Amino acid sequence: MSGLQRPDWAPETIDVERPSVARMYDYYLGGSHNFAVDRAAAQTMMAAVPEAPLMAQANRAFLRRAVQYLTDVGIRQFLDIGSGIPTVGNVHEIAQRHTPDARVVYVDVDPVAVAHSREILAGTDGTTVVQEDLRHPERILAHPDVRATLDFSRPVAVLVVAVLHFVPDHDRPAELLRTLRAALAPGSHLVLSQASDDGRDDAERAEAEQVYRRTDSPLSVRSRAELTAFFDGFQLVEPGVVWVPQWRPETPEDAEDAERAVFLGGVGRLGG
Amino acid sequence: MGEPPDGAPRTGVFARAWARALSGTSYLPMPQAQLETLLQRLTDLLAQTLRTEPLDLRVGHRIATELVAAHIVSAEALGRTLEVVQLRLLRDLDLVADDMADRMARLLAAVATGYARALRDRTLDEQETIRRAAMTAQVEAEQALRASEARFRHQATHDALTDLPNRTLFGQRLAAAVEASAGGGRRLGLCFLDLDQFKRVNDSYGHRVGDKTLISAARRLSRAVEPHLVARLGGDAFVILVERSTGTGDVVAVAEAALAALSEADVVDGNDVAITASVGIVERRADDTSPDELMRAADTTLHWAKDAGGARWELYDAERDTREKARRALSAAIPTGLERGEFYLDYQPLTSLQDGSLLGVEALVRWRHPQLGVLRPDRFIGLAEETGLIVPLGGWVLAEACREAVGWSAATAQPPYVSVNLAVRQVRRPDLVQEVRALLRRTGLPPDRLQLEITESTMMSGAEEPIRTLRALADLGVRIAIDDFGTGYSNLAYLRDLPVTELKVAGEFVRGLRAPEAADERILASLVSLAHALNLTVTAEGVETGGQAERLRAIGCDAAQGWHFGRPAPAVNILARVKGGAPC
Repeated sequence: MSGLQRPDWAPETIDVERPSVARMYDYYLGGSHNFAVDRAAAQTMMAAVPEAPLMAQANRAFLRRAVQYLTDVGIRQFLDIGSGIPTVGNVHEIAQRHTPDARVVYVDVDPVAVAHSREILAGTDGTTVVQEDLRHPERILAHPDVRATLDFSRPVAVLVVAVLHFVPDHDRPAELLRTLRAALAPGSHLVLSQASDDGRDDAERAEAEQVYRRTDSPLSVRSRAELTAFFDGFQLVEPGVVWVPQWRPETPEDAEDAERAVFLGGVGRLGG
Repeated sequence: MGEPPDGAPRTGVFARAWARALSGTSYLPMPQAQLETLLQRLTDLLAQTLRTEPLDLRVGHRIATELVAAHIVSAEALGRTLEVVQLRLLRDLDLVADDMADRMARLLAAVATGYARALRDRTLDEQETIRRAAMTAQVEAEQALRASEARFRHQATHDALTDLPNRTLFGQRLAAAVEASAGGGRRLGLCFLDLDQFKRVNDSYGHRVGDKTLISAARRLSRAVEPHLVARLGGDAFVILVERSTGTGDVVAVAEAALAALSEADVVDGNDVAITASVGIVERRADDTSPDELMRAADTTLHWAKDAGGARWELYDAERDTREKARRALSAAIPTGLERGEFYLDYQPLTSLQDGSLLGVEALVRWRHPQLGVLRPDRFIGLAEETGLIVPLGGWVLAEACREAVGWSAATAQPPYVSVNLAVRQVRRPDLVQEVRALLRRTGLPPDRLQLEITESTMMSGAEEPIRTLRALADLGVRIAIDDFGTGYSNLAYLRDLPVTELKVAGEFVRGLRAPEAADERILASLVSLAHALNLTVTAEGVETGGQAERLRAIGCDAAQGWHFGRPAPAVNILARVKGGAPC
């Protein structure tokens, strides 16, 4: 679904006959919030990239450690863009364990994911769900539910985790991130992770892209340098942009064979 | 069986091994330490159960359920759990009993059963929630689609500025209203409403204020004529549909309410914007009409209201409409008539009152209309003047008169001149002089045998230009007559200054000659002596009796025209008269 193909007044239609990346991700994580079409696509993906479940798990674990880190440094507000199907280990669960008054906004473009999130989060204080597209950050920032939940005069952590590879270069991802950055107060953080082709051979890359082309969202893998550039304006927190298992692992063993995780990730802090 | 003294460290060793076994089997949403804590507690439970008599298999189920609840949910996780427990638990915890292998098998079976059951329930639950989410999303998407369709429909049928129904919606409502009212003898009406000189509001205050004024006008209109439908047709034009009218009065009342509402003082952005409007009203039985007819009739009537000066309503008048339609049709047929040669000229003698000789003839245009028969100029000259068609028609008359007059030259030593009427528009044309000069050259008609008749108003209306034209025509040697003298301003100044050769006195004065010593006779006498003093000849028009002719001669009038001296006749009759000297 692209803004170019659809006039603004026309709402999205729900097409459960097409695989959804949010539900495929849930399948990789061992969840059952998915349909046959999602599982079929995920299995095709796994045939091409057997590490796909591992990638998803590693990425999810990165998200958990990043949110843990952010609560440790005092962040109480989170804007999770591309939150997908809220399986276990959601941002608010991690954050609110130590900071009960933490506030979390989940944003996803997938209407089923949004409906599911709303159901899961009904009655959970400090959380809200907004259906919006990362490609329209100004709409996200202006959304009344976002503004009612988050106070942008205070630090906010923006999470763009396992989403950017669904934003092709012609959608100007750097510009989208700049728009988000402009709305943030000093002390805010940016968490990014995305699929990277560093160290992949061409055949594997083509095969993986082929699978994602059949989903709603084709894949744009990026290099470490490109991902690092996305942190423009932020100071990268140690250890910088690394394979996600290498980002502050709990045990040294966790970081072994890290490049198999395919995802690069990092956390940046807005100075000032 | 008894509690080993160093139970805690031993459980810790096993729990760590268990945690390692589970690593990578599925996503574990907790830090390693938290996982080990959980597994340590479950290890304690396992150990305690194995030691306790009788063996409580429900604990096996509970352990499995806790694992699944902690999102340790993969098939691999179960396999590894069974493996690590079987291989290490008894050894690591130093659990010894005769039937331990048997107890272990039964407990592990309970764990596997409980795990499969919990995993199945979890899977079913998740499937249910995702399906419900898909349905919810589907419903929401459909609602959004319907809302946007409704919005789109509204936009397509409403005016964006005032949010009133637009022409499209009004057309639908009107058609429905006509249809619904048909058959029962029911009546309905329309008010076509247009703000008077609204352009001035835009010009004086700008379009922003103009737009706001329109919005305010629309609001006031709707309120004033509720519940009748008000639509904006575009620009400053509105229309009101009055259904179930009981007669003209109902619709007039609506129009008056509308006019009153619009005339209320309005302050827009600090400007006192005063507006008035014109309304065209049509009201009739639905059976006798169609939406198109109603719209057209209301539109026509609106123009009547505008033409009458605006700030008023007018009621549709079928006779007037028919008359005007006929006039328009006639006017539209003039160019074709010219092309097809449907026009021709008759000539009326201008006779000398001194000796009864034929001095000249006035060319009078006729139209042999294919449907209406022969039409006299009073039926179509006015129309031609309004529309500007007088220029080609007048040009044709002038040329035809010259062409026919030339034919009379050979018949007599004193051929009559031909007198042709010129309309204001013709005189104002810069190329008139050129046209006359070329015509005279082409036909060979001597200039003094052409007389051009202009009205007083022609002289009064224009500035310098007509006067220069007349001078140039006079310089060619053409005679200039003032037609219908005495009915207009009768400005004596131009009689002195202009190269006029003749006055034609209107028939009104002649008709007054029936009574002896009447005021008209004195006026005529003075007029004639005045004309003579200015070296002009005088021709009296509309002379119908011998008595009138006699009085005119006595007064000293030079010539006369009228039934008494000859009716308008075709060119051949004039030729015969010129040849034979007989009266027509």
